Order: sequence, then structure tokens, then C-alpha cells
Amino acid sequence: MTQHPSMKSESISRARYGCAVGAMQSAVAIPGTMPIADCGPGCADKQYASLAFYNGFQGSGYGGGASHPSINTTEKEVVFGGNDRLRELIQASTKVLKADLFVVTTGCISDIVGDDVASVVGEFQRRNVSVVYAETGGFMGNNFIGHEVVVKAVIDQYVGDFSGEKEQGLVNIWTELPYQNTFWRGDLAEIKRVLEGIGLKVNILFGHGSGGVEEWKTIPKAQFNIVIHTWLGLSVAEHLSEKYGQPFLHFPTIPIGSIATGNFLRDVGKYAKIDSKKVESFIESEERDYYKYMEEFSEFFSEYFFGVPSKFAVVTDSAYALAITKFAVNQLGLIPVKVILTENPPEEHRESIREQFRSIADGVSIEAEFIEDGFVIEEEIRNSDRKPAILFGTTWDRDIAKEVGAGVVEVSFPASYEVVLSRSYVGYRGALSLIEKIFTVTIGASA
Amino acid sequence: MQFGCDPKSDSTNTLRGGTYIPTVLDTLREKTKVNAHEVVYEGFNGIYCVEAGGPSPGVGCAGRGIITAVQLFKQQNIFEELDLDVILYDVLGDVVCGGFAVPIREGIAQHVFTVSSADFMSIYASNNLFKGISGYSRSGGALLGGVIANSINQPYSKEIVDDFVKRTDTQVVEYIPRSVTVTQSELQGKTVIESAPGSAQADIYRSLAKKIAAHTESKVPTPLEISDLREWAGQWGKHLLELERSGSVAETLVKV
Repeated sequence: MTQHPSMKSESISRARYGCAVGAMQSAVAIPGTMPIADCGPGCADKQYASLAFYNGFQGSGYGGGASHPSINTTEKEVVFGGNDRLRELIQASTKVLKADLFVVTTGCISDIVGDDVASVVGEFQRRNVSVVYAETGGFMGNNFIGHEVVVKAVIDQYVGDFSGEKEQGLVNIWTELPYQNTFWRGDLAEIKRVLEGIGLKVNILFGHGSGGVEEWKTIPKAQFNIVIHTWLGLSVAEHLSEKYGQPFLHFPTIPIGSIATGNFLRDVGKYAKIDSKKVESFIESEERDYYKYMEEFSEFFSEYFFGVPSKFAVVTDSAYALAITKFAVNQLGLIPVKVILTENPPEEHRESIREQFRSIADGVSIEAEFIEDGFVIEEEIRNSDRKPAILFGTTWDRDIAKEVGAGVVEVSFPASYEVVLSRSYVGYRGALSLIEKIFTVTIGASA
Repeated sequence: MQFGCDPKSDSTNTLRGGTYIPTVLDTLREKTKVNAHEVVYEGFNGIYCVEAGGPSPGVGCAGRGIITAVQLFKQQNIFEELDLDVILYDVLGDVVCGGFAVPIREGIAQHVFTVSSADFMSIYASNNLFKGISGYSRSGGALLGGVIANSINQPYSKEIVDDFVKRTDTQVVEYIPRSVTVTQSELQGKTVIESAPGSAQADIYRSLAKKIAAHTESKVPTPLEISDLREWAGQWGKHLLELERSGSVAETLVKV
């Protein structure tokens, strides 16, 4: 196997993720939870600004952005260690700030110096203060890796052990990375909605539909976990399997559109032993609405055939890339010409991810490439024989899209030319929004 | 000036009658801005004493502490202001991280002398230091003046160090025997020069000082690769075993 040029470079231009401490945003995504940044002031600000502001302008939320405390490490904490300062900060934060749970997220400095964050936080935990710590030094990896560290920290240090009965029909959902995925709020709401539609009780865990830490406390009671991602959340589900004896279902593809969402709901319903009539009844009612819109849309689709794109490229993280590619192929009849996966997934998951792209549909297969470097991504698209008419990517892909004459649908971090509130691109309703966006971009090109 | 670069802060202790001086970092911990003069203390024979200091054992980053202390002195031009004859950075025995390598970086020290006994651990640490010196030599760092062979009481100890310096392309500047005079002086909180100026040990230190004062040309050492160093040590191990069997080592030990 030849090494891709991106592997040869020691620097990455326009990386499409944050560093591990960016997972402080995962704490922000749990309602009522507030991170305590144990890092330099620039680290916290940069992660917030890039992930939560210049990415759909999602905003700070209750405990993010400028709201949460930060140790603001100086040379003093480097030389003498930051334990005393952290102790002082937790003490002050718990006194003046209202949060159900504080999550100390450490940065590179604290982790390199070797601050004993566990023992400082432990002092507060022994006094029943709701605080946990997550070692998220940037050198540990990116914010995807940091997210799993934060999630496990909350489970192990806050939720704790459980020996009670499981609640039939209660499920925990592990899916998109909050904030990194520009549309996570709408997407999680839609996933929760459709699963509730077939009769499940859903711990969505992040976002406005979550019940915050009270919901997290019920994680051990769930009948099973559902991982809806190519790889993120799998290690969490495995951890929960060991810790609470919970099985898990893994869906590499986030369902978009009626076919994928219907199949997803049938699989979940079967596993959860839900009456199939109930599942089919919900699917039917959803499809009725879905296809009413599709029927009306079909006029545009057939009349505007000369302006409808046929070839597309995807430049985003593996989960969204897979979901969008399957939807575009199976429901819109488009042809993938380039799939570039940008989140640097762990090596052990790469082959299974590649395999997913090799069986998009009957006769439709594409070899996905793992590239993090913005320059190399541009080169790949520029030098490709088959140019896309539509590019699902980021703000950073606008230049190359313009060069090759493609329309851009910003679906990924950083989406700085999208203002996103509750918009979703998954499930039934999200699929309609995605169709609207794709063809608005397409028709808008002739304006 | 003797500038102690070790968080234990005991480098200048015997120059100050066994007393410990406030360190640069202790002072910085108390207040954000420090005048370097506040942490310079005069010791025996007009020697200026400075201790960089560091965090408590087990916390913080001592290496960064050394950087902070040395930079503070450079920024305030103290070395020029005090019109010093010699500045001696006394650095702990290994370049464990970038911080402890600061004195050998460009613009700080001119020459490096490593203190090593004939014990393998000590030779190993010296070889490691040579790697550091060799690395920094490419960016204008201090070069190696030589090895100060310490605790040399056995003929074979001298031979081991001699062989090591030959292989690493450097020299022995002085052979220092282990002496009870040193222990006595330390227990009095004094240097040998102060407590026993007429002793043979004091003469050896004076000889060393003269050689260092006259030293001008340092070189880039050629440290051994770890496998070569191991092989070299193994050969010496065999050789010492043979000496022991022949009785020559035991005889020497009886004499000591």
C-alpha cells in the first residue's frame, strides 16, 4: 500500500477538528453542566470560538464560551504545579456559579507537568461536590478522543456503580459529536423523536432534549445502548457493557431519509422486542408526511433536470460522510466521485469504515480516503478525473469548489457560512432539510 | 558566580557556611516581579551564590523552573553588571529535559565539563550529556571541555574513564580521588578550599581550577550508541573479573 502524501507532512493545514480539550464542549452540551478549563486561557477560548462560534454560530449555551471558569495557566502553575490554583478555582466556582455538575477538563500544560488533578478533584468528590475530571491534554488526540474521555469521566466519577433493575424500553444514544457536528442539536432531537415514536424511552444525553445529569444517572438502568456512528461511542458502549452489563447495537450509518430511517427503526424495534405493528404504524405515518413533500418536490426535480447535479464529493467526518453518501445515492440517485474523511479516526476502525463505503448500494462503491490536511484535500479534488457538481464539505472547501465549479453544502466543521439553530439533516425531517439545502445551492448557482 | 541549577538547591550550601539561600523560584513564587540582585548572595572568598530552586518534589516542572531562573538573570543583565570572572552553572547529572539543557544552549555557557566516576551509571549519564551537547552544538551551544574524573582511587577506575574519553573524543581534565577531607568539610558546611586549604585534596581542586581557567578550546564529543556503550561496558566487566581472579583488585582494596 502506498503512503498518502498527507502522511508525509509534519504539519496539517486547516485541520477539521479541535484538540482533546475541545471536549469541554461535550460538557457544555449536557444541560446544567459546566466545564472548568484547566488550561491556558487561549486554549479554552480557541476551542469555543472555533467549535461553537465559527461553526454554525451555535453559541455558548449555559455553561460554555465566556461563562465557564478557567485556571488560565501561567508560568507559576507550570513551575510549581497547578494543584493549589485548581483547588482554589473549584472552591470559588462551586460557590459562585450554579451548575448541576462541573467537569474539569485538563489541557496540555497540566498533563505534561503532571498535576495531580485526580487527588484535587477527589477532595471535592469526597465532600459530595458534583465535580469530575477528564484528562484531555491536546497531545492525547483530537476532540473526538477527548469526548470519549469526558463521557467516561462522567459515567465513572459521577453516575457511578449500579446494581438495580434494568428498565425495559429505556435506551442510551451515543451518536454525533456535539458542537463539532454543526447540526447536532437538530439531529439529536430528530433521533430522539423517531425512537420515541416507536415506543422507546430515550436518553439522548446531550442537547436541549436531554434531561441533564438526572438523565445521565439513569444510564445504568437502560435496557441497551445504541451507537449511531462509524466509530465514536463504541468504546463508551463497550465500557458500559463491562460496567453495567448492557448490550449495545451499533449502526455505523446515521439514518437520513425514509429508507434508511425506516430500516433503522425496524432493526431497533426488533432488538428491543417492540411490537412490529407499532413500529410499522409510526413508519407509515412518518412516510406519509415525508412523501407528500417528496411528491411536490418531484416537479422541481424533473423540470429542473438540466441543473440538477449528478456527481458529488464528500469532505467531512466518517459518520456524516457515510450517512450523506448513502442518502445521496439511495434516495437522490446521485453518484459519489470522491469521499474524503477528515477526523483522523483510530487506526483500528479504518478498515471497517472503508468497507462501509465499498457497499453503498448495489453496484455503487467508492474507496474512501483518510486525509486531514486541507492542502492535500484540495489537491485530491483538483487532480481527480471526475469533478463533483456538488461538494458536501466545509467553509474551507469553498475555494476548491469554486475552482472546479461545484456548489458547496456546508455540512461539517467549520461551517462558517451557515447559521444553524435547530436544523437537522438526519431522520425523516432532517432529510427534507438536506434536500432543500442541496437544491437551494444548486439552483442558487444560476442566480 | 556559582549558579545552582537543581531543584534541591544545595549547590552553594558549602560556600555559605552550610546555610541555604532563598532561591530565584522561591522568590518568584512570592511575587511576580523579582530583582535578580535580591537572590544573589555573597559566599566564601567573594563568590556570588545563586540557586535557581524549583517546585516541591513530585509537583510542577523543575526544568521550566531552570529556564525561568536563567532567563531572569539574562534579561536583567546581571552577569555583565557584576563584572564576573567566571560563571559556573552547577547542573544536576543528566539532561532529563529541555529545561536542564538551558545552560548548554547558545549564549549561556561557553564550555561544559562533566563530572563522572568510573561507575557505569555515571558513564552512561555522561554519554547522555554528550548526546545533548552534540545536539546543541549544531545550534551554537556550548562545547565539551572534558570530563572531571571523580572518585578515582583504583588504577582500573582511571583506566575506565580514560578509555571512555578516548572513545568519545574528549579528555580528562583532572582525576579527583575520593577523600575523607571532602566529607569532613561538607559536614562543617564548608568547601575543602576553605576548611582544609593546605590539604592534598585542596591542591587537586586548585589544579583543576587552573586548568579550567586556562581552557580555551572545547570540542563536539562523539557519544557512543547505546549498544556500543553496553558492549564496551561488558568488555570492562570481563576485564575486571580477570583482575579480581588474579588478585590485583583485592590487593588494591586492602591497601585503601
